[in-house]
Amino acid sequence: MSEATLALPAPRLSAGEALAGWMLTAPAALAFLLMLLAPTLATIALAFTDYELGAPALNWIGLENFAELLQDRGFAIALRNTILYVAIVAPTSVLGGLALAMLIEAGTRGRALFRAIFFLPVVSLPVAMAAAWQYLLHPTIGPLNAALRAVGVAGPNWLSSSDTVLISLAAIGVWENIGFNLVLFLAGLTAIPRELYAAAEVDGAARAWDRFRLVTWPLLGPTTLFVVTITMTRAVRVFDSVAVLTQGGPNKASEVLLYAMYEEGFTYFRLGYSAAITLVFLAIVLALVWLQTRVMERRIHYA
Amino acid sequence: MTITTRRAALATPAAMLFMPRVLRAQAQTEITVHYAQPFIYKEAYDAILAAFAKREPGIKVNYVTTPNYEEGAQLILRQAATNQLPDLSYQGFNRLRVFAERGIAQDLMPLVKAEAADPATIGYTSNLLALGHFGGFQSGLAFAASNPVTYYNADLVRRAGGDPDNFPTNWGDVLQLAGKIDRLGDGTEGMWFTWNGDDWMFSALLFGHGGRMLTEDERDVGFAGPDGLASLRLIDRMVKEGGMPNLSATAARQAFTAGKLGMIFQTTALVRGMKEGAGNNFALRTTGMPVIDLAKGRLPTGGAAGMLTAKDPARRDAAWKFLRFSTGPEGQALMVRNTGYLPCNQIAIDDPQYLGQFYRENPLFLAAVKQIPISIPWYAFPGTNSVRVTQTMVDNIARIVEGRATPEEVQRDMAAEVRRLLPRRS
Repeated sequence: MSEATLALPAPRLSAGEALAGWMLTAPAALAFLLMLLAPTLATIALAFTDYELGAPALNWIGLENFAELLQDRGFAIALRNTILYVAIVAPTSVLGGLALAMLIEAGTRGRALFRAIFFLPVVSLPVAMAAAWQYLLHPTIGPLNAALRAVGVAGPNWLSSSDTVLISLAAIGVWENIGFNLVLFLAGLTAIPRELYAAAEVDGAARAWDRFRLVTWPLLGPTTLFVVTITMTRAVRVFDSVAVLTQGGPNKASEVLLYAMYEEGFTYFRLGYSAAITLVFLAIVLALVWLQTRVMERRIHYA
Repeated sequence: MTITTRRAALATPAAMLFMPRVLRAQAQTEITVHYAQPFIYKEAYDAILAAFAKREPGIKVNYVTTPNYEEGAQLILRQAATNQLPDLSYQGFNRLRVFAERGIAQDLMPLVKAEAADPATIGYTSNLLALGHFGGFQSGLAFAASNPVTYYNADLVRRAGGDPDNFPTNWGDVLQLAGKIDRLGDGTEGMWFTWNGDDWMFSALLFGHGGRMLTEDERDVGFAGPDGLASLRLIDRMVKEGGMPNLSATAARQAFTAGKLGMIFQTTALVRGMKEGAGNNFALRTTGMPVIDLAKGRLPTGGAAGMLTAKDPARRDAAWKFLRFSTGPEGQALMVRNTGYLPCNQIAIDDPQYLGQFYRENPLFLAAVKQIPISIPWYAFPGTNSVRVTQTMVDNIARIVEGRATPEEVQRDMAAEVRRLLPRRS
């Protein structure tokens, strides 16, 4: 909706109506102000101070926190690990979700069952599930390594070796995200008109791959874009599994952005520095959202 | 986090349902007491409160708990900023220094001295007082103490050709035995030493050599010399000779209670949990830590101390009475029986009427009691980077465990990194 259409009827509103409007939006506006805007602004302000939890005073230190971020080995590792994690989790769970959705859509029986099974990880409690993963991936008594031993392979120490810890966490991340993506893709698939497939077949697209390439993929465009951005933001937010399973270890091999933020703020009590990390995180998320809206405006259309 | 301050209880009708007594108009003092780790301590604090209420009916105590020490420290630091401190808080030994240096903890010595000119006569010997002495004054009174001990699987020791009744007492023999257990096959691991989490167990090796974390004047690191190197080399040998796998603490405990790990070196505070976990899987035994230096060797003490934060005189007086009771012989006996920690009052330790029977019936707890004479305070680093230093050390030790660096390289890097984190002094 453009601004012009909104502005047009405004002069005709009576003062009473305007007041009623304000009153009606007040609860939502107030909640937004108090719960979202104010804390965000406070965090932005904190990022420019040296505030420590329990310290009697705080000083305005300008960009010093950000200068420190640039030299902080821990932060650099956290940023690199987060990017790696997103680079594994996002494509795998998006393509995996799409593949599963097409399989379920093509099947004739047990659709609801499969949908429920794959959606379960999304509704389960991440912390409780992390404990289950800890057992599954346990190097000596875990079923996975027991199975590997049975076929004569010595399984790695999934979560405690710095070689495999990030991949193990990413696998858990894929497991958490794939069901969510599956449901979104299923919704997108059902919205595609059946007759388009019939028309494509008439026009000579006989093979399944051609139908996918010419009909399904283009029509799923908006859904795919949405799924990609939401998966990326969810992956950037990784925290629970790290906090429960590895605490960023060994030797920072699984340190990620949000865990570094938590550690700085609540273990080392450096709230100012922690707020600076939060701002970096916020910038990444905003950039992803901005990218989505830009691409959405430009080119994803039912051409 | 469960927060049940007096104010919150009065303000929220829901809370009133659970605390109807708050409303009873009585001339009584009400205090708020904070403690961490209710999953370990709840029974102990409840038992102490029940006994305390009989003795001091005019004092009403409300508990506030946090799931762990870390969140407990956050809570107090946050509340100090907003002037909503509880009256008494039980904090981990290694966090006490932060509160002492930030002026939140109060000096308890005048109160102790007011009761007895010589604190030792009421059970506060100088060793026990030292556990809560941080920032240059008596910032806390030790409430629960622990030291590191050896847990071993007697069945695996026997299968590897060892004698469970004569467990080796030096690291050389211990590592040899662990290596034999490791070679039993079938996924069995030799040993595990709690090197991650924090620096506590590393300090057990360092103190065992007679070493120090920082020099006497706290201006430089104390582990850059031969003691520190020997401690790091020992960790290297655990991996190479003892077959120590690269596990997280939780995973190692699970492997041990499942009967797949020969021995595990960790705090005595976990005796209860290990005993329940092991069940009838295998014969669990405990013994003291392998001795490194018989004359100079010491061990760190973990646990919690109560620190006084009340400002109002009446509440301060009531909070002190509670702290005094909880750290007195009666309170300590209740604490030990309900947790498995070590008592922090000499009378409770010496007088058999308090704990004699308990230790006869629970021999697994005895290993730690025998180490009390060589236990010294848990070292807390000075300055605002106190906790970060700990993590820096753990990160560096991880490199040895993963076989990515030699003890010499790790000692050099660890010393350099910790030096940068120490407070700069003019």
